[in-house]
Amino acid sequence: MRQGNLKSAIMSSVLQKLISPLASTPAEPPRNKVTVVGVGQVGMACAISILLRDLCDELALVDVMKDRLKGEMMDLQHGSLFLKTSKIVADTDYAVTANSRLVVVTAGVRQQEGESRLNLVQRNVNVFKSIIPQIVKYSPNCTLVVVSNPVDVLTYVTWKLSGLPKHRVIGSGTNLDSARFRFLMAERLGIHASSFNGWVLGEHGDTSVPVWSGANVAGVNLQKLNPEIGTDDDSEQWKATHKAVVDSAYEVIKLKGYTNWAIGLSVADLTESIIKNMSRVHPVSTMVKDMYGIGEEVFLSLPCVLNSSGVGSVINMTLTDAEVGQLRNSADTLWGIQKDLKDV
Amino acid sequence: MSTKEKLISHVMKEEPVGSRNKVTVVGVGMVGMASAVSILLKDLCDELAMVDVMEDKLKGEVMDLQHGSLFLKTKIVGDKDYSVTANSKVVVVTAGARQQEGESRLNLVQRNVNIFKFIIPNIVKYSPNCILMVVSNPVDILTYVAWKLSGFPRHRVIGSGTNLDSARFRHLIGEKLHLHPSSCHAWIVGEHGDSSVPVWSGVNVAGVSLQGLNPQMGTEGDGENWKAIHKEVVDGAYEVIKLKGYTSWAIGMSVADLVESIIKNMHKVHPVSTLVQGMHGVKDEVFLSVPCVLGNSGLTDVIHMTLKAEEEKQVQKSAETLWGVQKELIL
Repeated sequence: MRQGNLKSAIMSSVLQKLISPLASTPAEPPRNKVTVVGVGQVGMACAISILLRDLCDELALVDVMKDRLKGEMMDLQHGSLFLKTSKIVADTDYAVTANSRLVVVTAGVRQQEGESRLNLVQRNVNVFKSIIPQIVKYSPNCTLVVVSNPVDVLTYVTWKLSGLPKHRVIGSGTNLDSARFRFLMAERLGIHASSFNGWVLGEHGDTSVPVWSGANVAGVNLQKLNPEIGTDDDSEQWKATHKAVVDSAYEVIKLKGYTNWAIGLSVADLTESIIKNMSRVHPVSTMVKDMYGIGEEVFLSLPCVLNSSGVGSVINMTLTDAEVGQLRNSADTLWGIQKDLKDV
Repeated sequence: MSTKEKLISHVMKEEPVGSRNKVTVVGVGMVGMASAVSILLKDLCDELAMVDVMEDKLKGEVMDLQHGSLFLKTKIVGDKDYSVTANSKVVVVTAGARQQEGESRLNLVQRNVNIFKFIIPNIVKYSPNCILMVVSNPVDILTYVAWKLSGFPRHRVIGSGTNLDSARFRHLIGEKLHLHPSSCHAWIVGEHGDSSVPVWSGVNVAGVSLQGLNPQMGTEGDGENWKAIHKEVVDGAYEVIKLKGYTSWAIGMSVADLVESIIKNMHKVHPVSTLVQGMHGVKDEVFLSVPCVLGNSGLTDVIHMTLKAEEEKQVQKSAETLWGVQKELIL
């Protein structure tokens, strides 16, 4: 969607007088290109978070809605004075995404008020069939981050449709649930979210698993201070905080129609680890077959080391039997849906 | 003992100090939220307050931002009640009706004046020493309205003005010259809108005046038609509105740019809307954009632009148009 040839021709006189080119080499390809598929509220929140964190040297946007796509691209470009991402491009044609290091997939239909994530499934599988092969065609070496819901199932679908090795297909998973958990727990304790260490794993959704045994502040284990923590018998009802995490998305959707800022920030966080090859540990959705006694090819969130290869490795959590049981239950539920999917 | 008490011993006997660099954004529409997220991602304040009349939407937006707290360094609060905005250093006003497709900014006036009659006194009540930044359109008129309604001195009432127009201008020039916009210096002054004034004589790269290379620049006779670039700036907003329904990202980033200069006391020069009575032949109490120095006291100084006679006339004409609308307003 570049300007017409007329303008380039008419400006050339001042350009020629002003600037003497030294190197007549063709333009360098981008080194840290990120593509965002889908320019809905989530896609644009991911885009603006990635741009304002200076994470890429080129940003590409793709969508099927031509006018909206062009409008969003123009609106971002108009802010280029304030940014350090020199190239922002967009097209309905996936050629614009070529040579991406990272592709964030937010496309698809979103949860309606009261609708569970699992209900969205088949609708989004059909959308993905038109998206994933195109992405891989133009960026065969990219890492894919799937955000669209239900994210664990759709990460599986993406992995199948892409043919990419499993370490390069990641679901945003419980990165957001954990962020919400850390915020809500930290609020109760009067500290910043980053000072509260707690992990929510498993399914991104109603059956996510808060790992109470690991929750700590400055290395002080909360379960040692309160052995009932997370159980129904806990007089302080810390369990309610995890419930609030599960309910969060539904609540925000009810109030403003959708969620976008928190997920956008959480995706930028993952993007940073991958693009900058940081090897930070994040709870993201990865292929968990043969872990914790799970026999099926399902994707669930576990603490993963993220770097420029994608999922470099997975941390082996010490989980209680109950927590392992919950992961297995999630795996069963997800497989129950996956096995009935058509054309994957 | 509760878990919290076992974990944490409170050792400070005094009242907590609270925030030192608080920013409020009034209005949680697309512009307000883009401004909020740009301010948050640039780590400009230790507390951000959001206000609006739409309670559910406000609560939802505040929650959504709070859920991202792990990735941010700012306390986020929000309420319909303006007491949540108390002790703000900067208050950004984005509230009000926005342009529909094809509608000019001036059309929005009376609707937005009425909204401001509720908002401005509430802001002043809780942050009597704040700097007011007006973004709602038509921004030059509404900055005048905010100035009148607040009773603030003129240095503490700033309109976002042509900061955005200039950013768009520099982006377009940068595209043509294959340079980053920050290396292309160009100023658009006057009205934020259809009659904005591109100051061609000032356009330069590394101090080299582009008009010096092409003396026809900006005129009808210019073979290179640089004037079309300015027209593209004027049409820019309308085009984005037509394509996606509204504009948000560019104005949000431009607001954060201004807030940064104020909060960090940078004394950076920006084209923003201020009282220009007595300058460039303007006789009435109107607000128009000229290059101003922004710091933590607000808008402390104005740069004297050497405008051509034609450019001065355009500024005066904008002033007359705006005064024509302003004098009919019921404040």
